[in-house]
Amino acid sequence: MSTLSEAIEVNEVEEQTLPKVEQNAQPFWNPYLAGTGLGLVLLAAFVIMGRGLGASGAFSSLVSVGMQAVAPEHTSANGFFTEYLGDGTHNPLKDWLVFEVIGVIVGGFISGILAHRVKGSIEKGPRISSGRRLLLAFLGGGIMGFGAKLARGCTSGQALTGGALLGVGSWAFMLAVFAGGYAVAYFFRRQWT
Amino acid sequence: MKKIQLSLNQKLALILGILGFLAAFAGSPYTGNTATMNVKELALLVEKQTDHVSVEELADWIIKGRADHRLIDVRSVKEYEEYYIPTAENIPVASLFDAGLQRNEKLILYSEGGIHAAQAWFLLKAQRYNNSYILKDGLAEWKDRILFPSPAENASPEERSAFEKRKTVSAFFGGTPQTGTADTKTTAQIAMPKLDMPSASAASGSAPKKKKKEGC
Amino acid sequence: MNAPFFKFGYFGEETSLIVAFIIGIGFGFFLERAGFGSGRKLAAQFYLTDLTVFKVMFTAIVTAMVGLFWLSVFGIVDLSLVYVSQTYLVPQIVGGLILGVGFVVGGYCPGTSCVAASTGKYDGMMYLVGIITGIVVFGEAFPLLKDFYSATPMGKITIPELVGVSYGLVVFLAILMALGGFVGAEWVEKKFATKVKGVGQ
Repeated sequence: MSTLSEAIEVNEVEEQTLPKVEQNAQPFWNPYLAGTGLGLVLLAAFVIMGRGLGASGAFSSLVSVGMQAVAPEHTSANGFFTEYLGDGTHNPLKDWLVFEVIGVIVGGFISGILAHRVKGSIEKGPRISSGRRLLLAFLGGGIMGFGAKLARGCTSGQALTGGALLGVGSWAFMLAVFAGGYAVAYFFRRQWT
Repeated sequence: MKKIQLSLNQKLALILGILGFLAAFAGSPYTGNTATMNVKELALLVEKQTDHVSVEELADWIIKGRADHRLIDVRSVKEYEEYYIPTAENIPVASLFDAGLQRNEKLILYSEGGIHAAQAWFLLKAQRYNNSYILKDGLAEWKDRILFPSPAENASPEERSAFEKRKTVSAFFGGTPQTGTADTKTTAQIAMPKLDMPSASAASGSAPKKKKKEGC
Repeated sequence: MNAPFFKFGYFGEETSLIVAFIIGIGFGFFLERAGFGSGRKLAAQFYLTDLTVFKVMFTAIVTAMVGLFWLSVFGIVDLSLVYVSQTYLVPQIVGGLILGVGFVVGGYCPGTSCVAASTGKYDGMMYLVGIITGIVVFGEAFPLLKDFYSATPMGKITIPELVGVSYGLVVFLAILMALGGFVGAEWVEKKFATKVKGVGQ
């Protein structure tokens, strides 16, 4: 019996270990189905635009614009920021990735609303305080922002896109991400478990 | 025969497995340097002559400083260094497809007499560079009408005033209007006008053209 | 057929921004569908209790990969026009390791943190602020890092090129690896899910 609704629901074993998050929150999709959907979106980007997805680049553009507004001379001397600011012929925020990321925010919201999963909350394990969690979220973001720039991309751009295109650096990057995560997971177990 | 029931995951896996297995035997996904074209369509285009740009139009655009096109000199490097139309970039025919030309850019091709430019145009069109144009009659016409214009014999008053205008255009490009019988049509001493070359005007310096970032 | 459409000039820059927005919506939608608006679910990957990250990521990768391959083989898409980023092996590996650490510490990656923020997660929002800070730090440190940043360049190299086998064969092997990984992931989850409670969904 393989009806679609059955396939989409999470299997029973996992459901018993659920904390009570939201009473009317729908279960997540079958990961393979969600992955296929994601893959098709990526494929659409390839076919329509001849490029893949991304996320960190949009933040770089945002930061560059902000830095220029705050300290224009200092910023124009910095080769990293000027790359995102372009040569002045067009607005750096009129960038493909910036619009794409805005779409990501909207798309996530739509899916969340449809599934009753939009709720002001803090994702954390039971053994850590909210304050500590927020601090670590900030720290983690900072570390990742730095790493993403060094690697010239994040999981959306390098891993997903570069992975699908069989780029050598992208696959190496992907393996490194998993390695890095597993290496430090033990030290942060109190945040999540 | 007993019916085999597959779960959704197993169905997905099966489809993926088959596509992957077949992939190992498929050819290369790169089309490489082959192109297909609709010859009838192209023949009609040739007849319509919509892909020509006259030397006067080009001179006008250059003087006005229009930046909506790229002027490509398809001759050899040596010929380019001797003289080139201001704002032209040198991309010899053989290097055309390595130069990173974009299909949504307007390209104007010229060569000495127009033959190589026309051949280059044809190659580009076959690879779907539909925004390509040819400078009609090439550099020869440019020299004849822009750099070294000569008045028509028994010119009418309108033609004479038009010639005055062409003299200023010629002066702009460092040429010499032909007045008498002496043939001074040489490009050896041309003073090139100071114009913004497309590759030299970029502020960022890392990429010569306004290359759109496609990274993440 | 002439695809990628944008590279053949079917539409201009302005329209491409609208395309970006729509594709982004699809991206964010499926990320949230998979449950990636939840930091707990994402982090669970690294505690082996919920390997959704691996499943979704690799399903997406092989789907797009196989789709692109077949569209190219049939001449529908010109693969040489699809942008492949340059490989800078060592900085990408080091950056990846750092990113992995950030993943566990923060619980998100840039894309998923947007989804988390838009579904109300305060830690997702903090994470976004963190990303911006991290980029500022990187930018400021850039003059020092410049040489390392561009070390070991290998150009736009793909695995088939590097190893010297046909593209299709690599596609097949990648799919085999993914399918094997999925079977393994199911097994691992069953083993570890009963031990640890309350992580992810």
